[in-house]
Amino acid sequence: MEAVLANLREWFQDRKQRLDLWDETQTARQDNPLYILGGLVWLSWMIVIVSGIVLMLWYIPTTTGAYRSIEHITYDIPFGWVVRGLHKYGGDMLITCITLRIYRMYFAGEYKKPGELTWMILFASLVLAMISGVTGYTLEWNQRAFWAAKVILTVPTYYDDIPLIGNLGLGHAIAYIFLGGPALGQGTLTRFYSIHFGISIVLAIVAETFFYRTRRRRLNVSAFAIVLVLVFLAFVSFINLPDLGQWANNNRTPLPVLSDWYFLALYQVVKYMPPLWAGVAPALLIGYGMLVPFLDRTKETLPTRRPFFFVVGLLAVIYWIGFSALIMLNIAVISRDPPYIWGITVVVLFAAFLWELAYRRRQARRGAASAPAPAGASRPAPRPAAS
Amino acid sequence: MKLDRRGVLKALTAIPVVGALIAVLSPFFRFLKPNDKPWGIFTITPDLPQGGAQVVGKVSQLAKPWDSFYFTYVQRFVQYTPEGQEASNVPGVAIRLPKKVRFVNSEGYVGFDGETDIVLFSRICPHLGCIYNYVSDWHEVSAGYGGFRPPGFEQHALMACPCHFSIYDPEYPDNPGNVISGPAPRGARYFRFEIHGDDIVVTGAEVGAIAQCAPGGAASPREA
Repeated sequence: MEAVLANLREWFQDRKQRLDLWDETQTARQDNPLYILGGLVWLSWMIVIVSGIVLMLWYIPTTTGAYRSIEHITYDIPFGWVVRGLHKYGGDMLITCITLRIYRMYFAGEYKKPGELTWMILFASLVLAMISGVTGYTLEWNQRAFWAAKVILTVPTYYDDIPLIGNLGLGHAIAYIFLGGPALGQGTLTRFYSIHFGISIVLAIVAETFFYRTRRRRLNVSAFAIVLVLVFLAFVSFINLPDLGQWANNNRTPLPVLSDWYFLALYQVVKYMPPLWAGVAPALLIGYGMLVPFLDRTKETLPTRRPFFFVVGLLAVIYWIGFSALIMLNIAVISRDPPYIWGITVVVLFAAFLWELAYRRRQARRGAASAPAPAGASRPAPRPAAS
Repeated sequence: MKLDRRGVLKALTAIPVVGALIAVLSPFFRFLKPNDKPWGIFTITPDLPQGGAQVVGKVSQLAKPWDSFYFTYVQRFVQYTPEGQEASNVPGVAIRLPKKVRFVNSEGYVGFDGETDIVLFSRICPHLGCIYNYVSDWHEVSAGYGGFRPPGFEQHALMACPCHFSIYDPEYPDNPGNVISGPAPRGARYFRFEIHGDDIVVTGAEVGAIAQCAPGGAASPREA
C-alpha cells in the first residue's frame, strides 16, 4: 500500500517538474506556429478575465435586467462593444486554442511520458472552459441561452434511470442544485453567474501559485504577437459583434435553435441517441481523453507508428466537423442516420485495429530479421528510447 | 502492493473518521438545496408540485377535429422563498381528436375517466425539457423537424420538438401522445382534466420533467 503511494507520489512529482502548460519550453519549436498555442491559451484567458471583470461593472444578473443590461453595454456605454467583443471572442479563442493544442498533443504524441499530467490538466481545462462557456452565455438570458441551459440541466435527471444502481434521486438533486430551484429562473442565473466567475478566478489563483513557485514564464510569446491578437479581436468585435438574439421566452422554443459552436457536434449526437446514453457518452469521451496516456502505452510518437490511436483521433476530428456541419445545414434525417453512423464507426475502428496488428507484425518480423532473437519475435521490436 | 498490520489498522481507523466527517458535513449540503429536510438531501420522492383545479379553456374552442389551443397551467413547487413555494408554468396543448380514445398512457397515468375525443398534453418535451409545438400539417414536420416522414396512418397533425426533433402522435393507438420518432424515451406527458359544461378544468399534471418554466422572466418585449 505504502509502496504504491510512494510510486504514485514519485510519478506525480516527476510529471509536475515537467509540466508544460503555457510556456511550451519543454517542446519549444518557435519556428512552428502550433507551438505558441500554450502562450495564446494564457493570453486569451487573461483577456477574458480582465474584460469579464470590466463587464461586471454594468451587468445586472437578474432575469428581468440581464438582457437589457447587455444591450445597454453594447449600444449605449462608450467602448462597451469592444469590452463585450473581447470577452466573447476571447472566450472563443481560448476554447479554439485549447482544442487545437489538444489535437496537436494527440497527433504529435506529446501526451506520452513525461507529458501525461500536462495532457490531463489541458483536457480538464477544456471541460472547464466549456462549462464556463455554457454558464457564460446563459448570462445573456436570450432564447439560445435559456434553452441550452434547460436541456443541459435536464440531462442529469436521466442519471436516476441508470439500470442496476436504482433511483437514488442523485440526478434530480444535481439538476436542482444547478437550477437553484425547481425551475429555470432567477436561482439558475445567480448560480451560473457564480460558477462562471468562480471557475476562472479560482484557477487563476492556482496558476499564479504555480508560476510563483516554479518561476516559469507566463507568456512565452513575442510582444508583436500579443498586439496582433488584441488588434485582431478588437477588429472582429468591430466588424461583427455577436447579435444578442431574442429575449428568453419560457413558453416558446424557437425553431431552429442552436447552441454555441463548440457544443454543436454534441448537440447533433444528442438528437441521435437515447437521453441516458447522451448523458453518459460525454462522460465516456472525457474519460477516454483523461486516460489515453495510459491506454496508448508504446513509446512511439509518430502517428503512423501507432495506427489505432491515430485513427481514433482522426475519427474524432472528422465527426466533430461532420456533426457540426450536419446541424448547421439541418440536413440530417434523424430517423434514418444512426445505423449508418454506427456502421461507419465500427468498420473504421475495426480496420484501424487490423492496421495496428499488421503494423506490429511487420515490426516484429523486421526486428527478428535484424537481430535474430527468437524470444523477441512475438512482441514489437525494441524501439529507440524517446525522452 | 504491501498490506501489513500497520496499513490495515490505518485503513480501519480511517473509515470511521471519514464517515464521521461526511456525517458532520452533510447537513451543509442543504445550503444548496434548502427545501430538503436534514439528512434527506437525495430525496427519492420529490416534493410534489400542487396545482389545484384551473379552467384552461372551453370545449367550444375545439369545434372540429384537429382544432387545438395552447394554455398554461400554473403549479406551485415547495421552494425556499419567503412564501415557501414558487409558481411555475406548465405549458399545455388541448386537441380535439377525430375519434374517441381512452386517455391513458403506457405508464398508467389516467388523464380522463372514460372515453374522450379531447386530449390535453403537457408541452414540456419528456426528452430534455424544451417546449414542443403542435403542428397541424405533417408536411411541416417533415420539412422542419429532422426529415421524419410519417407512415400513412399517421399523416395528420403531429406534435414536434424544435430541440432534438422528437415527434409525438396525439392519437397513437392505445397510448395517445406516444413518441413516433426521435430520441425521447416516452410519450408526451398528460394533464388530468374534467369537463364541466363548456369548461375544460385541469386538476393535475403528470409528474416528471424537472425545470418547468418559472413565470418570472416571461415578459419578453422582443417575442417573435
